[in-house]
Amino acid sequence: MLRQDVSDNLYLLMERGEKMSEHYSLRFDVGGWVFDIPTMIMTVLTAILVFVFLFVMTRKLESGVPGGKQNAVEWVFDFVRNVNAGYMDYKKAMMLMTLGLSLFLYIFIGNQLGVMANVTTLHKGQVSEKVMEMLTVSETPEAAAEKREKIEHELADHGIHVAWWKSPTATPSVTFGLALVVLLYSHYLGIRKSPGGWFKHTFLNPIHILEEFIIKPLTLPLRLFGNLFAKEIMIAFLLSGGLLAAAPLFVWLGYSVFVGAIQAFIFLTLSMVYISQHINDEH
Amino acid sequence: MLEFGTVTLEWGTLLFQVIIFLLLLIVVSKYATGPIAKVLEKRRLHVENELATAERNRKESENLLAEQRRMLDEARSESKAIIDRATKQASDEAAKIIAEAQAATESMKANASAELAREVAKAKAELRDEVASISVLLASKIIEKELDEAAQKTTVDKFLAQVGDRL
Repeated sequence: MLRQDVSDNLYLLMERGEKMSEHYSLRFDVGGWVFDIPTMIMTVLTAILVFVFLFVMTRKLESGVPGGKQNAVEWVFDFVRNVNAGYMDYKKAMMLMTLGLSLFLYIFIGNQLGVMANVTTLHKGQVSEKVMEMLTVSETPEAAAEKREKIEHELADHGIHVAWWKSPTATPSVTFGLALVVLLYSHYLGIRKSPGGWFKHTFLNPIHILEEFIIKPLTLPLRLFGNLFAKEIMIAFLLSGGLLAAAPLFVWLGYSVFVGAIQAFIFLTLSMVYISQHINDEH
Repeated sequence: MLEFGTVTLEWGTLLFQVIIFLLLLIVVSKYATGPIAKVLEKRRLHVENELATAERNRKESENLLAEQRRMLDEARSESKAIIDRATKQASDEAAKIIAEAQAATESMKANASAELAREVAKAKAELRDEVASISVLLASKIIEKELDEAAQKTTVDKFLAQVGDRL
């Protein structure tokens, strides 16, 4: 009996969650390159926050005994440097500090932004043709038409939610972008160190070809994306649950902060491991 | 653009993300990691420098301490030698003084006994003379007038010599 109740409630939650999770975002297409506006907003916002944090914290640095502000930024710096130094020597670790610090803070802040707020706009009835076009950007005209029909139906029914604020890292485009930067940089460093060594290490072993060109480029971004996407989905799902889901939502938000920090650390660590595989002398 | 249900991978967003991240790397390098690395390097050098100075100072103070200790030891042994020498000198002096005093005493004693002997001899002689004259006087008185004092004297001397030998 009780089980029946719970499963009924769960079903209800899922149904409502499905409705809620249907967030649309405005996109535009420039010669086949599709740009997602909320993701771009969050990308820029995150980058600005990272820069402002580092800029404010690193004014008037003191080589003697540091003050509170400097202590904090040096703590972050040391944290990233210790991660780097775990996989390479001190000089290389220092050389990769800009990448490490930016990666860690970018992913960390990006992850937390989605936990802190959720901004959507609700549209009902009609939207302008230009907005409709931006909402239905798709690969094929058929898919666009299908999407358009769905949106028109939803507009007439309960309206659509257009997302403006989310974790940039909950978007595969962003995580693949970050991973691309890291992996290309690791190959660049490998080639710069010794082209022959890089070629031998990368191409002469089928396992390595698989690793370098399929496994790493897929697992590195998808791990981050998967965690953050699940977080966003769960938050949207629990938000739709009303009072019934208030306690789990609270727990989940706390857990999301934790996951956000852990995932930033993992991404940083794996990036440094992958880079170290190309710049260290022994493999 | 790749679509997997509601999840999409947009190449444009990806490109935009890469550009934004590269820009972030440039400004972070210029305004954050550069200055921090510089400050950390400066601090590292400062600490290294301080450590080297401290080490140098420690060595120097150790040397000074050894020097001081050596000098102290030297001074101690020197003072000990001086004291020893002084003690020896003093005891020598004392022995000398005592010996001298003893010698002086001895000579004084010898002098005194010699004097005494002389006095005794003198007294004996005087006494002899006295006794002789008294005896002569006595004899002349006893034997009446004509007895020559001088002739008597030899007789008395002989007698006295006999007596003196017995004395």
